[in-house]
Amino acid sequence: MPIRKSYFFLVCCLSILVLLPLFIGEYGLMILILICINVLLASSLRISMNAGQFNFGIPAFMAIGAYGSALMTMKLGFPPILAFFAAGMLSAIVSLIVGYPSLRIKHVYFLMLTLGFVEIVKALAIRWDSLTGGPTGLPGIPPFSIAGFKLVTKISQYYFTLFSSLVILLVLYRLEKSRFGLIIKSIEQAEDLGETVGINTYTYKMLAFAISSFFCGLTGSLYAHNMAFIEPTLFGFLLAIFVVVYCFVGGLDNFAGPIAGAVLLSILTEPLRGFQAYERIFFAIILVLVVIFLPGGIISLPAKLSPSIGRLRCIKKR
Amino acid sequence: MTFNLFIQSVLIGMNLAAIYALMALGLTLMFGILGIVNLTHGAIFMLGAYGLYYIYGVLGLNFFLAMMLTVVVLGIFGLFMERILYRPVDGHFAPVIAITLAVMILFETGGNLIFGYEPKGVMAPVTGVSTILGVSLSNYRLVTILIGAILVIALYYLIHRTKVGIAMRAVEEDKVAATLQGINVNRINAIVFCLGTGLAAAAGAVTAPIYSILPTMGNLPLSKAFMVIILGGMGSIPGAIVGAIVIGLADSLLAVTVGIELAYVFAWVLVILVLIFRPRGLLGAY
Repeated sequence: MPIRKSYFFLVCCLSILVLLPLFIGEYGLMILILICINVLLASSLRISMNAGQFNFGIPAFMAIGAYGSALMTMKLGFPPILAFFAAGMLSAIVSLIVGYPSLRIKHVYFLMLTLGFVEIVKALAIRWDSLTGGPTGLPGIPPFSIAGFKLVTKISQYYFTLFSSLVILLVLYRLEKSRFGLIIKSIEQAEDLGETVGINTYTYKMLAFAISSFFCGLTGSLYAHNMAFIEPTLFGFLLAIFVVVYCFVGGLDNFAGPIAGAVLLSILTEPLRGFQAYERIFFAIILVLVVIFLPGGIISLPAKLSPSIGRLRCIKKR
Repeated sequence: MTFNLFIQSVLIGMNLAAIYALMALGLTLMFGILGIVNLTHGAIFMLGAYGLYYIYGVLGLNFFLAMMLTVVVLGIFGLFMERILYRPVDGHFAPVIAITLAVMILFETGGNLIFGYEPKGVMAPVTGVSTILGVSLSNYRLVTILIGAILVIALYYLIHRTKVGIAMRAVEEDKVAATLQGINVNRINAIVFCLGTGLAAAAGAVTAPIYSILPTMGNLPLSKAFMVIILGGMGSIPGAIVGAIVIGLADSLLAVTVGIELAYVFAWVLVILVLIFRPRGLLGAY
């Protein structure tokens, strides 16, 4: 029964997502696109987390994807779809360069290096203004085009983003259930044991990091071509914090956790957009509360509540 | 670069090194003994600067008294944080990081709301300029170097010559064995947290008269302190001091030659190179 139940739930969600554009305006569609982007970021962070790597570099790799893809289409004349994949590859390659020195030792170094890497990428985006447009940002990025049809309207952009997010999530899900997913999970739980049974943990950690960065790059490209404008301050430390909070609040033990966290928090903080201070305080408080009182995240809430609900039912029957 | 400019940068570099050393020592102690990577450190630095601003600048108390008061108050505050926030999730890497992250955002944003966005400043308690090797430097910067050196030596004495210090090193080496010797590990953890917080507050208070006081002022020293402890070796106290001097000098010398933002990038590149060729850091044990 549970399998059929979850399929039913998935189909419901999907049909809601597909039908939603009929009921909301252009602004709503933009928020939905942003939620898709947040979901993708949180899910790609989860791969790193699964390998036991606390990765703060999400915004940096998203920036590399966004700037890479935008510049490839604008300066080199790549078609946006090609630039989309090239941006992912670019992020993955850069992540291998960053991961090479930092993944060899303790995970703490990795945390700090990714933290610094965000600032480095931001500083470069600001300073290298002949290429990136400097602090004022990079306007006029062309939208995606499929078979000569340009995705200019928000509705077409939404469907494209939704479709590509679902494909990416499916790939991530299959990856997690594969042998690779099991191996990186084992690295998180007992790295020494993994080494003893013959797993090259260093290679797998690099791979996990590169895959995580690859999907961040794709997400960055999605963002750049849909919003048509990017600026360096978007990809700062704050974004890293938000993505980490999505993961923790949703729950890291479950594939659906980061997705649930990203969707829930994006919707909850939508009224706070423009009041940055309160938005941050909200994030901080909810993070502390979840980590201390609900370590499994909100995704573990139904399982925690079900015994008491079951008890209530028993009482009613009697 | 002329000789005078070089000497000037070296002196300012030593001044930066004193501040970075105070920050990095707290971080490296907490990492070595508690196993915490404390992202709240920058916010404590900021609170230290504001504490000095309010006690010395607004209330008009003596500077050194104000500094001590700030350090003590924030140190006690650190004790509470350890008890309420960190002990419940003790021993788990990711949740601890999440908690420090949350506290950092809370302090920084709370600071923005309470203290306001406009920069504040205090007068240095020691005025005047002295000339060293044909270069003039404000006396307060020299005092900063002195305060940094005194605190570092005091910490070194505490860790190597006192009973509490020996207990700390025992906990760092092996928690279980330390417990078996009758050391109260929880109490040592609390003391270390209090000490680290106090050092960060001292760094902030010392810096307050030099830079403008802002709620976001702690971020840069925090990332510099990270560089310092990676460079020197995580958990190593001599490493933190050597790393602070290297990063401080690199900072001031690179800032006058290539500009501040690129200096930041170069400093990280330096750290990455050290990680590639000497993964333990310059003086790290592991």
